[in-house]
Amino acid sequence: MMNLSLPLLVLGPFLAGCVVMLAPQRTRFLKQALVLAVTAADLVLCLRLFPQEVTFFCPWGAYGIDFSLRFYRFSAFILTAAGGFAFLIAIYSCVFTFAKEKSRLFFTFFLFSLSLVNGAVLSDNLIILLFFWEGLLLTVFGLIAIGGPTAFKTGVKALVIVGVADLCMMVGIALVGHLSGTFAISKIQVPLGGLGSLAFVLMMIGAISKAGSMPFHTWIPDASLDAPLPFMAFLPAALEKLLGIYLLARICLDLFRLVPESGLSMALMIIGSVTILLAVMMALVQKNYKKLLSYHAISQVGYMILGIGTAVPIGIVGGLFHMINHAMYKSCLFLTSGAVERQSGTTDLERLGGLAGKMPVTFLCFFVAAAAISGVPPFNGFFSKELVYDGALERGLVFYLAAILGSFLTAASFLKLGHAAYLGPRSETTQTAKEAPVFMLIPMIVIAAGCVFFGLHRSFPIGQLVQPAVENHLEGQDFSFLMPNTKLVAVTIIMLLMAFANHVFGAKMKGSGLKAVDYIHDAPVLSGIYDRAERRCFDPYEWGRAMMRGFSYLLWRLDRGIDWIYNAGFPGCAQVLARTLKRWHSGSYVTYLGWSLGGLLILVIFLMSTRSF
Amino acid sequence: MPFDILLALIVGVPVLGSFVLPLAGRIHERLRHSLAFLLVAFSFLAAVRLSSVVFSGQVVRFSASMPFGMDLSFTADGLAVFMALASLLVGLVIVIYSFDYISHYANRNEYDMLVVLFLGSMMGIVFSSNLIFLYIFWEMTAIVSWRLIGFFRGKTDVQRADKAFLVTFGGALVMLIGFLMLYQKTGSFDLGVIKEYFKTQAFPSLALILILFGIFSKSATLPFHTWLADAGVAPSPVTALLHAAVLVKIGVYVFARLFIATFPIGAVWHVILPWVAAVSSIVSAGAALRETDLKRIIAYSTVSQIGFIFFGLSLGVEIAIAGGLLYILMHGMAKAGLFLCAGIIEQGTKTKDISRLGGLFSTMPLTGTAFLFCAASVMGLPPFGGFFSKFLIFLGCVQGGQMGLGFVFLFAALMTILYLLRVFTVVFFGETKIAAREGTPVMVACVLVLAFLSLAAGIWVRYPLDMVQQATTQMIRVIP
Repeated sequence: MMNLSLPLLVLGPFLAGCVVMLAPQRTRFLKQALVLAVTAADLVLCLRLFPQEVTFFCPWGAYGIDFSLRFYRFSAFILTAAGGFAFLIAIYSCVFTFAKEKSRLFFTFFLFSLSLVNGAVLSDNLIILLFFWEGLLLTVFGLIAIGGPTAFKTGVKALVIVGVADLCMMVGIALVGHLSGTFAISKIQVPLGGLGSLAFVLMMIGAISKAGSMPFHTWIPDASLDAPLPFMAFLPAALEKLLGIYLLARICLDLFRLVPESGLSMALMIIGSVTILLAVMMALVQKNYKKLLSYHAISQVGYMILGIGTAVPIGIVGGLFHMINHAMYKSCLFLTSGAVERQSGTTDLERLGGLAGKMPVTFLCFFVAAAAISGVPPFNGFFSKELVYDGALERGLVFYLAAILGSFLTAASFLKLGHAAYLGPRSETTQTAKEAPVFMLIPMIVIAAGCVFFGLHRSFPIGQLVQPAVENHLEGQDFSFLMPNTKLVAVTIIMLLMAFANHVFGAKMKGSGLKAVDYIHDAPVLSGIYDRAERRCFDPYEWGRAMMRGFSYLLWRLDRGIDWIYNAGFPGCAQVLARTLKRWHSGSYVTYLGWSLGGLLILVIFLMSTRSF
Repeated sequence: MPFDILLALIVGVPVLGSFVLPLAGRIHERLRHSLAFLLVAFSFLAAVRLSSVVFSGQVVRFSASMPFGMDLSFTADGLAVFMALASLLVGLVIVIYSFDYISHYANRNEYDMLVVLFLGSMMGIVFSSNLIFLYIFWEMTAIVSWRLIGFFRGKTDVQRADKAFLVTFGGALVMLIGFLMLYQKTGSFDLGVIKEYFKTQAFPSLALILILFGIFSKSATLPFHTWLADAGVAPSPVTALLHAAVLVKIGVYVFARLFIATFPIGAVWHVILPWVAAVSSIVSAGAALRETDLKRIIAYSTVSQIGFIFFGLSLGVEIAIAGGLLYILMHGMAKAGLFLCAGIIEQGTKTKDISRLGGLFSTMPLTGTAFLFCAASVMGLPPFGGFFSKFLIFLGCVQGGQMGLGFVFLFAALMTILYLLRVFTVVFFGETKIAAREGTPVMVACVLVLAFLSLAAGIWVRYPLDMVQQATTQMIRVIP
């Protein structure tokens, strides 16, 4: 069925973005109203279309570049979620204070991003997918760059890192199109192995880098400090996760068939586990509210990649359920950090404390979201993590152990964060803080309520959203009413209790909640590693920069060498030649006569050798 | 008007008309400007008119016979008309921009004459189907560009102009020997006759190498590329014309005309030439990352992007050829925009050294936006046109099965992102070192037009892509 509402989902936010960009400065409230109306309309449209399968097709250019969109169960799920987050974060952003009146640019890029995300999720043609997907590079750059006078450096970092991954994905898409002979996503089925595996890896790089997995993550912590906060809640915490994991799932399930026995499945699980552990280790020692959250935004991607990488139904469902859960609690957590920053002027944990009494609603939302991300029952994060654990255990004990250790450290770091920011004695900065304005609270409350709802009624998200999206891959199983494995639950609860005990013990030892896990930071081997990590010694971006500096210097020298040949080499030769010839022109008749005779002789010999007289 | 006459006029009007311009300039400055604009606009509109016929499948020919096989003959097929449209469109914007840019320099009469003559000779190259006339127009562009590069008449300017002229002229002479070899074999300079002849015969590799000398020196490909960066001393619209839109594309165009449309080259060249392009692309990208002169960086970027175009054209895969042709258009628009922005920055701050620039976005928001758009198009980011051309080239590379080359060019594409972002952020962000005002309205309007053309070419990619597809199938089809 052709339906014009699909292109509307792409064009609507885009045109609204143009209007916001061009509208005069004085119409601030009208612009905000427009943003709210457009995001609300986007959400309503997705909800209205929800159960149907709708397609839209329009030729765009030669060589298989067709503007074809497809709205079906999976993309509907992602789009609705994206629309919901966009609407809530738009409400929040209306009262957020932007640096130097940058709100106009923020809303412009915000709407452009929404349009691009909608386009990428809807597209049923790989070239169109790439078009929207790579388009996000510029809006992300813009959104970061408006954060402050030096934020553009982080913007460049984000653009370069994600740009590299997107270029890989471009080659991957070209390869997929070549192998399957079409770019229509719903018709593609490429066998793995040989070039197929290469194509899989290249496309996977694009997908996991968008989701923010290691080793493509290092711009996210930097952006958490530089970029305007709603950006963090909107893209890295929510929409980019949805987009990246959506594509990863499409690659693993539809474009290729990832099977549990394959090396690629193993590779994905390893990437997932390493991301979980390394990022959470970094999160543990952060002393800034937003930066701590940003490392968790990386770490949690690991669970989703691990879940999908298991290639068993329970893991896939768990990974996708975790994706939506993560988007909820992480954007809620970022929103609380924005509220705290607005009301107290800082997100430095050393200068925060005792906010629970001053900002009770914010604290409550933080509490729910933190419990959800730590996997505390009965919140949503608990159930998705249990599903991932189950899948991981099916594939290997080591992956399960990595996941459960990650949960322990997650819980420990959120105990630290909550304790340092909301409990304990009040500091100078928090003494005068008040509760955040109501428009900031509404989105937080709605999302936190969602975390509770998805936990208590998990059969709705699993049964209605996740499972229909991947119904061809479930092998007839249904996880929506499945009770978690009791043994695994017991281990989880023991882990959570251990994390709590660890925190209480550490806080008592050091005398402050913030320092409760400092003993890990100061442990003999770890402290050296942490020092290096803080000096960015492990940042692939920094390595790349150093290598590129050296490499470009070599190339530049080579280029200068070639130029030297033109500037000095050729003129030098010409001069030598001229000088020599000049010396021969001595003015002596005898010499000239000798030359003439010699030349004649050569001519005669040449003629005699070529012609037969 | 019959189309063959129209075809002759596309070339003839600007070439002959340019000599009237100095006289017009003696009467009134504005008269000369208007006349220069009209001459180029006429050619452009005539090419548009011609395109409607040519892209419906016809080929338009014009010929006047001359002794010794030197017939003056023009042929308009898809490739030629596409190339003419691409370079005249950009040339037209550059001519308008020049009115303001050049208004406070000496020798303005000469300037306008040379620019129009240059565009006219370019049309001559594009439509010539006789190798001798191709060569004559080729050298006309060389002479005109020699005069234009040294336009400011300083000692370095003249030296650089001499360098550019000597390198391209040397290459062209070698190419002429190649043409003569073809004449010796086939007995004709006419491309149609040559094409018929080589349908049955193998193409001599020596002639191919000799002709490549000319092409590579004109299109600034390693190791004949350094004159291009040095030619940055020219007035900015001239660099835009020479480096971005027209001059460097001559070599690329002749490559497509001879080695794709007229005679096929051996399979081994489909491997050797892409690698030459790859080395050229990477080395110049490295140089672009080190240089600190704004125009030199953009010039090295041109060398690097020309590598991409050669890569696409020389792979011998239909989609890659289409990508290469599309790249000519997209790169021409975006790179001209970058050079013209550089001209605005240079006139505003009186420097080209990027280490002395910074924070210009707050005072030059429009130029900054245009620069960003054009840079994004060169980087190949959607929704700009450069995305599609780059993607098609990579697609062709994958179809040709040359994955190794694909990854080398992936690296080159990454370096493109790096050096353009470096220029953009250093010039427009950070601390303001030299305060500058926005350029004149005409100049800013011109860069914005190019920026939005880059954007529009991405969103409405089907129009250029349809032309490219037709031109490509026409080229491929003629080789049975």
